[in-house]
Amino acid sequence: MTDSELKGAVLPALKKPGGAVRDFLRLAMEKELADAVILPMKVPSGDSFAWILMNDISLLDDAVPIAATMPVQGAKALRSLTRKGPGNLKIIAVMRPCEIRAAMELSKLGQVHPENLILATYDCPGAVQLQKYVDDPAGSEEYFAGMLQKGKPDDSAKPVCHTCENFSMFDSDIHFGYLGLSEKEVLVIPGSEKGSALLEGLGLDLTKDLQAWEKGIDQLKADKLNSRKSTFEETKAQLNGFNGLLSVFANCIGCHNCQSACPICYCRLCYFDSETAEQDPDALITAAEKRGGISLPVDRIMFHTGRMAHMSLSCVSCGQCSDACPVSIPVADVFSYVADQTQRTFEYTAGRNDGDPLPLRQFRKAELPGVHELVKDADAEVPSHE
Amino acid sequence: MEDKAGVEFVPSIVGFLCNWCTYAAADLAGSSKFALPPSFTVIRVMCSSRIDHNLLLSTYFKGADGILVAGCHPGDCHYGEGNYYARRRFALLKKVMETLNLDPERLQLSWVSASEGKRYAEVVGEFTEKIKELGPNPIKNSTRF
Ligand code: SF4
Ligand code: SF4
Ligand code: FES
Repeated sequence: MTDSELKGAVLPALKKPGGAVRDFLRLAMEKELADAVILPMKVPSGDSFAWILMNDISLLDDAVPIAATMPVQGAKALRSLTRKGPGNLKIIAVMRPCEIRAAMELSKLGQVHPENLILATYDCPGAVQLQKYVDDPAGSEEYFAGMLQKGKPDDSAKPVCHTCENFSMFDSDIHFGYLGLSEKEVLVIPGSEKGSALLEGLGLDLTKDLQAWEKGIDQLKADKLNSRKSTFEETKAQLNGFNGLLSVFANCIGCHNCQSACPICYCRLCYFDSETAEQDPDALITAAEKRGGISLPVDRIMFHTGRMAHMSLSCVSCGQCSDACPVSIPVADVFSYVADQTQRTFEYTAGRNDGDPLPLRQFRKAELPGVHELVKDADAEVPSHE
Repeated sequence: MEDKAGVEFVPSIVGFLCNWCTYAAADLAGSSKFALPPSFTVIRVMCSSRIDHNLLLSTYFKGADGILVAGCHPGDCHYGEGNYYARRRFALLKKVMETLNLDPERLQLSWVSASEGKRYAEVVGEFTEKIKELGPNPIKNSTRF
């Protein structure tokens, strides 16, 4: 991520970071280095945002590159555009780091083809919770302006934003940095060959060293890691077995909104929405007889744990699941913590773009000692086959 | 271990056994007349890598006291590398269970080849003992699911 040998180009930011991003995109379109851009734009009612793929430069004026809230996870927008292949348009997408990371995960799953995309991120101050934004767009914009100013989340932000350690450049092609800098400048930092080529084409020279910005990031990261630790401790205390799950998900109405909003859950038919997941009525009656009673329908805890097993290795802690939950279950707090644990097991960080396949799509012959020990020699690999 | 009424706890254990190795070993153990626990239900699968997390989770939530996944030794998988992937997947599920404090010890992975009838009896016996010590899966009596 931060690497002191990197340098960035300086953009004048007279209109705040979002304005600098917009000017950059305008220049890229004018010089025909990008055919189109993907950006959030306010919906006509003014109380939310939508992703717009635009090739008309004049539309840029109404775009909001750094939007206050995130109704649809950006990776979903990128998937809808590139799921069948990279296409031949060169498109710059400006998104939050967690959205780009989700897109990276989807690309490992063959659902996003980023070859012709230029993925741009920015120092993400956090995002206002969707419900708060919908309830009070004007007030939320004020909160968000404050967050942008300080570069960090406040109480209106999603809880996961407070514990996010990947809020700045994370394997994107281009990054817009403003933390730790004067209010008058925004750095544009290339993160890949694609990004460097674009800056060169635009005639932006990499003259500025990144120390001030890196310092700003590191300071904030230290704070975030602290709150990550304490929040995870709280979540851990709640997850005390089956009863813990029952109480965390006590009000779950089984709507599966959390899964529909999740950028990683792309499957057209989820196991949990399929006939296979339905319980046999006779089995339910037998279970009720044995147990003395049984809650109906019986799919909630199994759904959440199954989803944790299926996708937590790719969870980017974007918080969309919590935003989507109609009964305010802190789904993302739980998933983010579980994801931290499972990703650690495989020394993996979701969203990493280093050519390494997903953990379940690779293995080492000698690994995970202890997973299969039982009778004495069970742990030994068969040497003749190694 | 006995419950309050003094009835001995006979754990119900489900074994997902690979057709090519462990299932054959179970057969061999039977025909060699090795002692096998009475309440061990065998489900034959074509490879340890066929086992999806949801199979194991629903077995657990339906109240199984123990779950054994067993396949060919590393390097011996009939399909080449299935058991290496199975081991990763198994480790992931165990981690999820551990994180949620859903007794991960009730889940066990083991390798038993077709010729290891004796080893099969040992693995099953040892796992059964372990589960006996743990006691019944508390979920078995929950009215909530
Ligand atoms: S589980 Fe929740 S936090 Fe994780 S990627 Fe999906 S929506 Fe985002
Ligand atoms: S969105 Fe909330 S209520 Fe709906 S399934 Fe997910 S946790 Fe349950
Ligand atoms: S065939 Fe036995 S584990 Fe794959």
